[in-house]
Order: sequence, then structure tokens, then C-alpha cells
Amino acid sequence: MVGLVLVSHSLMIAEGLREMAAQVAGNDVPIATAGGTEDGRLGTSAPRIAAAIRATLDAGADGTLILLDLGSAGLSLELALEEFGPAERSRLLVSEAPLVEGAILAAVQASIGAALAEVASAADGAAAMAKMPKD
Amino acid sequence: MADIRLTVLDPAGLHQRPAAQVVRTAARFQSQITLHVGDRSADVKSLIALLGMTIRPLAEITLTADGPDAADALAALLEELGQSVELSPGSSERPPLN
Repeated sequence: MVGLVLVSHSLMIAEGLREMAAQVAGNDVPIATAGGTEDGRLGTSAPRIAAAIRATLDAGADGTLILLDLGSAGLSLELALEEFGPAERSRLLVSEAPLVEGAILAAVQASIGAALAEVASAADGAAAMAKMPKD
Repeated sequence: MADIRLTVLDPAGLHQRPAAQVVRTAARFQSQITLHVGDRSADVKSLIALLGMTIRPLAEITLTADGPDAADALAALLEELGQSVELSPGSSERPPLN
């Protein structure tokens, strides 16, 4: 089963999104979060992101898709990824998808046992998702 | 090929949570499963395709399944949807394969 890491500047966004993703995907998909800084402020933290990634790998995830919000989240993630060697890095993918929609689509795809590349591809579909009904 | 015709009863339509359950159920079957509303259709194994359909309350939908486990797939989907839908008049709960 592929796992997810949700990275946000806000602890509440990350935790709330995990709750939404678990509701649609069930509890079998390992989902770890890295929201906010170590001292509870808005921001991102490389050590927290690395710990979340580590948690999904330790939970036995076949691979982990990392979804993030914006701005410096990418910089923190870049630092966090330096903690992982080539073998572990090969089990990680970073998604360019918008965080909320991407996490929901990825979680459902992971829950049906899809491989990491398929889960990443499902998340990518989020970029083209309409917000308002078409009809 | 098997099909069932349903009316969506859920006041929120086929929204995110039941749509996700439908995708997860459909993924257990080999058959190609398609949802039709009016002249549009979506692959039931794709959440983004289903959510893109905007299925409103009281919408009439048809599920078709094509493959070796088509009837089982539709029966499982009907069970998964539960109270969110009702069978339209004339549609069989366990459609014969034709």
C-alpha cells in the first residue's frame, strides 16, 4: 500500500486534510502529516517533514507520495529529502498537485492498492478539477 | 454486459464520500464499469471522472458493467450505495447477463 505525507504551513490544515482523506480512503492507507513548525507556529519544518516521511516508510508503505502546500514548503521538503539515501528516495515521489484535491484523489487511489506512479498520476488529475458544477 | 438504473436519493447527490466508496468497490472487479447520466458517462473506477459528473439529488443514473464479473460488480455497487439510491422502476436488482 502506498502512503501519503501531507505538508502544510498549518498544523490544522494538515490534520484536517488527513481526517478527510481517511474518511474517503479508510484507515489502511498510511497518512502522515507535517503541519506547522516545531514551536507551533505557521510554517514548515524540514525535521517534521522528514519524520512524517520516515513514519510512512516505517509503517511499511510500498512507496510514499508527498503533497505540499506552497512557498517555502518546497524548500523545507528539499532539506528533508536529504535525510534519505538512494534506496529510500526511490520509494518517494513529490506531487505537484494542489494539496487538498490531490490528497483526496491520491488517498482513494492508494486505497485500491495502486502503485506509487498510479497514485501520483491520480493526484495530478486534481489540477484540472472543476470547482463548480458544469451543468 | 449488465446494467442497472438508479435514482439518486442522497440530498447531497453522489458526493465525495460515497463516490470514493463506489470507486473502491468497483476496483475489486475486473469488469469495465461505467456510470451514465444523460448523455455523459464516466469510468466508475476513477474518482476524478466520477466527481466531474456532478450527480445531483434525484438524478437518474445507469451503471453498466462489461466483463466476466459484471453482475457481481453491479450487485456489490448497489449494496455499497445502500440508502443513497433506489432502483428505478423496471430495473432488476440482479440483472441477467446478456
